[in-house]
Amino acid sequence: MDRRTFVKLTAAGTALTALSPSMAFAQWEPRRPINLIVPYGAGGGTDSFARALAASAESALPVPMVVVNRPGSSGITGATEAAGARPDGTTFMMTSGGSFLLTYLLRDTDVNPFDSFQTVAQIGDLTTSLMVPMNSPYQTIDDLVADALARPGELRWNHTGRGSFHHIAGQGFANEAGIEAVDVPFDGGGATRAAVIGGQVDFGMIGIQQAAGFESELRVLALVSNMRDPIAVDVPTFAEQGYDVPLISSPITVFAPNGTDAEIITGMEAALQQITSQPEFAAAMLELGNTPGYLNAADARARLEAMRDAAAPIVAALEE
Amino acid sequence: MDIFAALGNVITDPVLMLWVLAAAIVGMVAGAIPGLTASAAIAMLLPLTFYMEPLSALAFLYVIGKSGRYGGSISAILFNTPGTAASAATQIDGYPLAQRGMASKAMKVATISSVIGDYTGDILLIFGVGLIAAVALRLGPPELFAIYFAAFVVIGSVIGKSITRGLASAVLGVLVNMIGLDPISAEARFTFGSFDLTNGVSLVPLMIGIFVLGEVFSQIEARHSPVEIVDTSRDHDARARNRLSWAEYRPCMPHVIRSSLIGSFIGVLPGLGSSIAAFVAYGEGKRRARNPEEWGHGALEGIAAPESANNAVSGPSMAPLLTLGIPGSTIGAILMGVFLIHGIQIGPTLLITSRELIFSLFACGLIGIAMYGTIGYFGAAWVGRFIIRIPTNVLYPVIFLTSFIAAFASRGNLFDVLVMVLAGFGGWLMKKFDFNPAAFVISFVLAGGAEETFRQSLLLSHNGLLIFVTRPVALAFLIIGVAALVLRARTLGRQAKEAALNDA
Repeated sequence: MDRRTFVKLTAAGTALTALSPSMAFAQWEPRRPINLIVPYGAGGGTDSFARALAASAESALPVPMVVVNRPGSSGITGATEAAGARPDGTTFMMTSGGSFLLTYLLRDTDVNPFDSFQTVAQIGDLTTSLMVPMNSPYQTIDDLVADALARPGELRWNHTGRGSFHHIAGQGFANEAGIEAVDVPFDGGGATRAAVIGGQVDFGMIGIQQAAGFESELRVLALVSNMRDPIAVDVPTFAEQGYDVPLISSPITVFAPNGTDAEIITGMEAALQQITSQPEFAAAMLELGNTPGYLNAADARARLEAMRDAAAPIVAALEE
Repeated sequence: MDIFAALGNVITDPVLMLWVLAAAIVGMVAGAIPGLTASAAIAMLLPLTFYMEPLSALAFLYVIGKSGRYGGSISAILFNTPGTAASAATQIDGYPLAQRGMASKAMKVATISSVIGDYTGDILLIFGVGLIAAVALRLGPPELFAIYFAAFVVIGSVIGKSITRGLASAVLGVLVNMIGLDPISAEARFTFGSFDLTNGVSLVPLMIGIFVLGEVFSQIEARHSPVEIVDTSRDHDARARNRLSWAEYRPCMPHVIRSSLIGSFIGVLPGLGSSIAAFVAYGEGKRRARNPEEWGHGALEGIAAPESANNAVSGPSMAPLLTLGIPGSTIGAILMGVFLIHGIQIGPTLLITSRELIFSLFACGLIGIAMYGTIGYFGAAWVGRFIIRIPTNVLYPVIFLTSFIAAFASRGNLFDVLVMVLAGFGGWLMKKFDFNPAAFVISFVLAGGAEETFRQSLLLSHNGLLIFVTRPVALAFLIIGVAALVLRARTLGRQAKEAALNDA
């Protein structure tokens, strides 16, 4: 039976598997705890997803899932360790697939998402959005673009650091709209948001979940996605407003070291699908301002490949 | 009033109260151990807090900072060895009192003064933080850079015995901070191709190295000069001598009030800290005292002034951290990491996103003060006897090993252990040759933000450097910095003359 049929069967059998968890893994019976390497520090955005995943894993896996933080070098330290781990199904890596991909494109790292790993699944997706301060004259993207075209090089915008997916997505928008503006990197989402609220910049590219609680200080003009955010439903996408902005986001992807048996990958893929469909996982994600977004191995990899093709020209233009 | 609601919530949470109590005791003991400071204890205990609730973790470390600042006075008075740099000022009058058999009385004065100073600082913080946060949202990179600039100037002017060596220590701190990815372009620099250095040198192993391992090395050198505790006998006479009456404490009150305000003011300035506050308050107190001739020979006021200033620093030093994201002290820099680890974004929006947590933290601080005050008032001598009973050839090896565990556990990275060991030798050598390790660390802490805001300002600016002059708040802070520099240069010139005259 091929993988897709297997996944469908598993999905259909969720009720059954709830009764007998081990049924989900045709041949794969993990006996030792699964180490989920997160190449970022404890408490960060990516880590919170891993913690939510591990907390909900109990009913889908017969062994505990242990989150192992290996921060350093923008996620490359942990990725290098995960890529070199023994491919016996006890080590997986969960990372921000977008950051991993962009770091690879920008810094030509030794490990990369395509050649060093096998993709297991995607469990969620972080999207970025264009925000302006509440007292900004811009009500729509068209207002902003018109003003930027009238004053080339005058506008200032910020993001969470050069090479972040917010930066690349924002640059993608600037290229698409044909505007010239100066980008100012800030350190992390909180500082970037505070600078937008304080009117230090004309606009900022910040994760959509950062807007929650700041409705009277910020206005979100557009979302970089092909569909609206399930939580901030009022925010239109760039596409809705007529801008073909490359879909740069940060999928939360689970990887396995190269050489991991196909049945382990399939077993883990099925387990992840089951975990992400549980209400407690959805609740944990909601607390983080997000929603589960499961994609199977093939789709998750296709998503990363599409992003690579979209980001490569932007990155190449930046490096000129 | 958020703080009363928070106090109610905190008091009814037994687990949290236990952590605060543990922090009060741990801080007091760590502060009293010669060589261990509050920030060293916090750096070593940091990994433990990864597994705690965010509020418990922050409250635990915050209260250690408070009681550690107080704990230094125990060893200053009882062993004639300052437990922390700040308590060296307490030692001037504390030890003469102890020699006269009035150690407990000196401890009581130190305790009461610390508690009053700490409460003054915390209450100013609680009422001031909202105001500062409201203003902070309007401050952009140019204004923040001007604040960093003023901080660097002020640090440079209080740098210690040798100005050139002090400045060299500060510059070294800035250079070490630059290792890693450039904050604007994200290009690697000073990494010598090393993969481990691309993320820079982390603060926690660096601090453990300088403040813990370096101190252990210094203690190994000083091994042959044993620490002795003064007699704390408890016969009838001693009890009578050590009773503290309000009539005796009343002359201290003006000093306590003035010193608390001095400490709070110095605390809110980034980069300065407890030891400067304690010495400024001692000097100012002596200058204004009615009995200056008694100061230095066991005046109770001479204990009250530095102790209250030392602890008044604690609360206000949180203000630049919480509202601007500028770590005002080494403790602040570690707490900044703890906020990050628990996913709490500090900065001007903190009171919007985590208001309840922040006021609960303040409430824990208020309770922590009462706890260390009570324990200290009745049991400081006991804590002193407890520390003296641990043989140094057990205590320092244990601290030595713990520093390795702590450096590894903060990120699970062996490279950090290497950083810690190198920093340990560095810190020891710096002390030996009269360089200033504290200036090194605080410059390391401030350099990252200063560089980032400077370069952000240039990107934001339409006319290059003029952005610092055309924005009024930024200009004001730059003028304060330059004025401090000029003033300091003048007093230095005068002091040099006086010194020269004295020599002649």
